Amino acid sequence: MASSRLSGSGWSHKIASIVLGVCLAGLPAVARAANNCAWLNEATASGFLGGNAVGTFTAPTAGQPAICAFVNQSAAATRTLRVTVEVAADPHARMMEAVAKECGADAAPLKAIGNEALVCAADDRKDGLGERVVGRVRDQVFTITIGTTLKGDPILTRDALTAKIYSAAEQVSGNLF
Amino acid sequence: MGKFANALLVTAGVLLAGYQLVPALGQDAAALTPPPAYTPPPKGAAPAVDTPAQREALDKWKAKAEERIELDRMAYNSGVTPSYNFHYGPKNPFTPGNIQVQGEGFLQPGAFPSAEYCGTCHQEAYSQWRQALHSNAFRTPFYRTSVNILIRDKTRGIAFARHCDSCHNPIGVLGAALTEDSKVDRAKFDSDGLTCTTCHSVVSLDSTNGNASVKMGVPAVIVDEKGERIPGEVPFDMILRHPERHSKAVMHDFLRTPEFCAACHKANLPAELNDYKFIRAFTAYDEWQQSKFSQRNPLTFYTADFTTCQGCHMKRNANTLPDYGAKNGTIASHRWLAGNTAVPFYYGFDEQLKKTIEFLRAGDYLNVDVFALKKVGNDKLIAPLGKVSYSLAPNDVVEAYVVIQNKNIGHSLIPEVRDLYEAWVEFTAKDANGKEIYHSGFLKPDGILDPRAHSFTNRPVADDGEFVDNHKVWTIHSVAYDNSVQAGRSVLVRYQFRMPADASGAVTVTAKVNYRHLRQSYLNNIFGKDHPAYPIVEIASRSRVLKIGNNEPKAANPEDNPDWMRWNNLGIALLDQFQYAESIQAFSEVIKLRPSYADGYTNVGLTEIVWEKYGSARTAIRRALSLDPGNARALYYDGLLQRRAGNTEQEIADFRKVVEMFPESRDARRELGITYYQQNDNKASMEQFEALQQIDPDDLTAHYNLSILYRRMGKPAEAAEQQAMFVDKKVDPGAPTYSLNYLRIHPEISTESIPWHLHTDLVNDAGGPQNGK
Repeated sequence: MASSRLSGSGWSHKIASIVLGVCLAGLPAVARAANNCAWLNEATASGFLGGNAVGTFTAPTAGQPAICAFVNQSAAATRTLRVTVEVAADPHARMMEAVAKECGADAAPLKAIGNEALVCAADDRKDGLGERVVGRVRDQVFTITIGTTLKGDPILTRDALTAKIYSAAEQVSGNLF
Repeated sequence: MGKFANALLVTAGVLLAGYQLVPALGQDAAALTPPPAYTPPPKGAAPAVDTPAQREALDKWKAKAEERIELDRMAYNSGVTPSYNFHYGPKNPFTPGNIQVQGEGFLQPGAFPSAEYCGTCHQEAYSQWRQALHSNAFRTPFYRTSVNILIRDKTRGIAFARHCDSCHNPIGVLGAALTEDSKVDRAKFDSDGLTCTTCHSVVSLDSTNGNASVKMGVPAVIVDEKGERIPGEVPFDMILRHPERHSKAVMHDFLRTPEFCAACHKANLPAELNDYKFIRAFTAYDEWQQSKFSQRNPLTFYTADFTTCQGCHMKRNANTLPDYGAKNGTIASHRWLAGNTAVPFYYGFDEQLKKTIEFLRAGDYLNVDVFALKKVGNDKLIAPLGKVSYSLAPNDVVEAYVVIQNKNIGHSLIPEVRDLYEAWVEFTAKDANGKEIYHSGFLKPDGILDPRAHSFTNRPVADDGEFVDNHKVWTIHSVAYDNSVQAGRSVLVRYQFRMPADASGAVTVTAKVNYRHLRQSYLNNIFGKDHPAYPIVEIASRSRVLKIGNNEPKAANPEDNPDWMRWNNLGIALLDQFQYAESIQAFSEVIKLRPSYADGYTNVGLTEIVWEKYGSARTAIRRALSLDPGNARALYYDGLLQRRAGNTEQEIADFRKVVEMFPESRDARRELGITYYQQNDNKASMEQFEALQQIDPDDLTAHYNLSILYRRMGKPAEAAEQQAMFVDKKVDPGAPTYSLNYLRIHPEISTESIPWHLHTDLVNDAGGPQNGK
């Protein structure tokens, strides 16, 4: 027992050294998402997008939220999953502001996601399809958008998007709690 | 238009447009495939006999399924193992959880057949499970907030969360998802928590140590004719042709035992988690084992029919949806109704919420008795109320004795995570116009419970002397107090108030036991302060009318206990509050009312033993044994008295008789082990302590004595192991100082740590009870 705990402590030191090293090296604002997206891992995002997804993480800056973006590129379509998270002083008002901007009046309340959340279609792209959730966990306001450039995408159908956006919202809000 | 106005407009638009609320997973009817046609075989019919062709086809299926699952497992392991954090070494991938898995390496989440697959033929069980705690064991905010704190903890991290997730999300733990750089798609299992094929794939119980002390098999829903498991999903017709083989794969006998529930409804905080020492977190299993419902403990105050955990929490009821597991139109409930109203409230599971509230209010679980009054300045106890005459005058300062009996709960009130759950007594005294004279146990405007309320809670404290408010269990070093009421026992709560000077009519006193899941400050930790009020359920209550002037006896309510039991409960409560003289008086009233009731004398005797009045204890126990010579409870206490008198032969005879009648009595085993030890009968002593460890693997006396006995018997390795466990599990002698620091800085609740205390608003200049002066 003692030795395994010691070896554990060694692991902690190694991880701490790596984290410190990365910080000191001046991590670029945009990096591979593998472990930097605290709210969704690449494997889970890949599951939502129906194939291997590549992620990037953009750290928050003044006035800008943190962003995790995942892309699955196939010959027929580009499928994306985007998560934004920001901390707000008045989180409900900020969330409703985001709903107004990102969903308009077409938002429906989504039960049991975070403190509160709304869902809407996000068919932003010409010919494409998408679904979006805007919600909050305490003072953290988040948006999640899953979309495809291909209308009639066999992987991201409207029904699939409806199920996947709920599941993605549960993942992200669960990690924000 | 301003942003805020715009947001308001959108809010209004959402509301006015009448959009349907998008339901949570499980809130609406499940979209399951209709079940395949099936006619159950007649009762007692022999299983179908396979043709050679069918046998060959099954063999081929099995071989292919085994090959596929094994290849998948190898490929999966090669993907997840390199980046996995083996914090506790490569041999302990799931530590600090106790879960184990069959075969080599991690088990891919895809090996577990989905709940929807099972739900096709078990639609009733599926629909119940979807709203139950087990399916939501991981995803709820109430759990996630706690476990996320551990994951984010700078000196710990996600590897430590295997301690929690071994029970809350075993597929994630076994599938190597709990590591920093996880390669695992979590959406495939997080939402299902404990899915059907987690419980139904357990192949053995490793111990009753808890923390998920089970071995998970490679999931299989059928066995072949030799009883060998066939992994993965199979076509439904294969199951329907051989339902007996399906049962053999998924319905192990242990699923019906309390020991199975113990795997997760018993938990400790090991040194691997807290870098401190073993601390018992909770153990509903041991509480059940010590209750009357287990019929394993001869020392309970009352007796009952044998009832398991499943007997209360998985009662059979009629199914409304098709379910091929139903027997005579009923299935064992997969709602596991208990006390959690928070999860169904959050998810909008209205049926689960309704049934949970009904469950809490049903079953005669608690008895609330406004038992007695005492007028300040007069030592006479006016009791039992309703049976005696008395008079009251304006300005009288009275003390109401409220006795709350944990009557039919098979575990403590409140069980398990009692630092988060909140059950308390709300006591009111109101005049004839409904004006409040006294109120204890109210909610403040912010939803926080009156800190001076009598609550059945505990107060875990960290080493900085602060209450562990947000369930950071790994920081717990001490418990400032624990006011839970064990199964079958009672508590006396005393309230003092002054009858109004101008009162001319009646004053109504009411005592209620309320329950809220969860404590408001914990809900605030989860959601911030802007969350809806969570349900409060009144579990039991009793009112009595106190008239100014003469009060005459009144007819009892149907739910009232008989008088002898009312006195008995007072005696039990006073015993637990160290009021031995008063306790004996109360038990003596029991004897007056039931002179042939042996337990009445035993109760007097055991109180006198605790009070160290052995002479009179002997008289009482002898009287009990003369009434009921084979009474195990009386024999146990007689054994203790014989030891004190030096009558070793009789001492051994008494304890042996108790052990014969109750082989799983931990107390009798322990005492018999001590007796043999004192007689230098090492072998016999060792046998008793080993048997005791089978019943309770954490018994300190067993660890201590076995460490000595094994050494004497030439077993140094075993002795060292027992010694190490004793050192790890014994109470840290420094721990009470953390509790004292906490109580010192929280005088508003420090009196709750004193067993014999009074609730009153009548205080003197020093803040103490005024006692009417």
